[in-house]
Amino acid sequence: MTTQRNHRLLRTAALLIGLLGLLPMSASAMHIAEGFLPAGWCVVWGAVCVPFVAAGFLSIKKKVEMAPRAKILLAMCGAFAFVLSALKLPSFNGSCSHPTGVGLGAILFGPMTMAVLGLIVLLFQALLLAHGGLTTLGANTFSMAIAGPIVSWLVYKLLRKAKAPAPVAVFAAAALGDLFTYVVTSFQLGVIDGGMARYLMVFAVTQIPLAIVEGLLTVVVFNVLEKYSKTELEALCVL
Amino acid sequence: MGTDRWAYQSRLRRVDPLPKLILSLTALVVCLCCGSGAVGLATAAAMGVLITALGGLPPRVYLHFLKIPMAFLAVGCATMLVHSYPAGTPVLAALPVGGRLWGFDGAALAAAAALFFRALGAVGAMYFLALNTPVTDLTMCLGRLHVPRLLVELMELIYRFIFVLSETAGSIRTAQASRLGYQGLRRSLSSLGTMASLVFLRAWRRADRIYAALESRGYAGSLTTLPGDYAPGRGLYPLALAVAAGQLAVLFAERGVLG
Repeated sequence: MTTQRNHRLLRTAALLIGLLGLLPMSASAMHIAEGFLPAGWCVVWGAVCVPFVAAGFLSIKKKVEMAPRAKILLAMCGAFAFVLSALKLPSFNGSCSHPTGVGLGAILFGPMTMAVLGLIVLLFQALLLAHGGLTTLGANTFSMAIAGPIVSWLVYKLLRKAKAPAPVAVFAAAALGDLFTYVVTSFQLGVIDGGMARYLMVFAVTQIPLAIVEGLLTVVVFNVLEKYSKTELEALCVL
Repeated sequence: MGTDRWAYQSRLRRVDPLPKLILSLTALVVCLCCGSGAVGLATAAAMGVLITALGGLPPRVYLHFLKIPMAFLAVGCATMLVHSYPAGTPVLAALPVGGRLWGFDGAALAAAAALFFRALGAVGAMYFLALNTPVTDLTMCLGRLHVPRLLVELMELIYRFIFVLSETAGSIRTAQASRLGYQGLRRSLSSLGTMASLVFLRAWRRADRIYAALESRGYAGSLTTLPGDYAPGRGLYPLALAVAAGQLAVLFAERGVLG
């Protein structure tokens, strides 16, 4: 009996050590991979995205009709979102990850535009980099291009209304939007087998430091933008 | 960048993108709906054969691409694997925590393995499209499928600008790194932030210049291009059916063996 238990403990210890090696890798794994969700959930998340993307598309269409220049600018913004998400982010525990750009995109372009641009960027990430997938496009779009940006945008607007200093508002918006994205992803994964708490636990270990880093990064970006490109930011408000 | 380079070199590059899209999507959907590990493994293998034999991709490269989503899959499946059991349950490996056993038994291991291989098969199916079709062909194909014109144009423009901007970001990064800009977390963050904002700034100004260039060449609100000449690729339709039939055969064989 005791030898059996010892064997089991030994096996478990070996497995745990193996899993520890995976943790830093998980930092870059925020997109739900192709084929990970059952077919039913793929359809559900796709359907949930439709109204948001349609609303965003109509708002973009209106802007482009008013000013044809907006099309080129929006495309540049989309490409910027892709390049931003491909940057390597340093983290406290030495692992490398990529920023989500959720907060920055939402504050710069607004949540409506972000839904459409996010959809396109996620499609390209799936096809070009194999981050995410075609069947999980709906789920990823909902967490990263709809839910996260809406939270970021609301936090930013509320804090600015409450007369909080700009860096605080930007930091809170980016970090909270980032965290909310992971909560939604955990929910999307956990709802399949009822293990949401487990996913939240795994993500909490890796994502809380990353959310803080991304918040700081967004503040730096905003400071530089404010210093050097007042006119562009003002034009963006019109866009 | 990623799959793009190989897509341009593929032997199927000149084949009409629509049959490629259909083959890829049927294999993907069947693999997902079967939900079995054996079908997933068979799909990944079949797609590997098709990509290397028809597209001429070196097998080594296909295996390399299969490894990319591995990090997510490993963590996701490991999380799915671990359950808590009442003390005394026969388990394969577990740690006693607070009077319960945290670990996995045979059934959980089988479920996690099935999930892992199903996802691997789905990734393989997606690669048939991604490694044989350049994005420009794909967007043109989407236009033919009546995806709104504005959306397709945005995709085409974004695809083009991705390369322009990543080149800018790359050279700024080299310049910063050569001036010790990435020593330590604090300096890395400030360098990275400066770089991101400068890339944004340059993107914005570049967009202005591109718009001026377009307008001076008679831009009237839409970028129209001629479709390329494609080989019809009708042979891919029966191939898609054959792959689906093979997947279902594996499913029934597995059911027959187990049940």
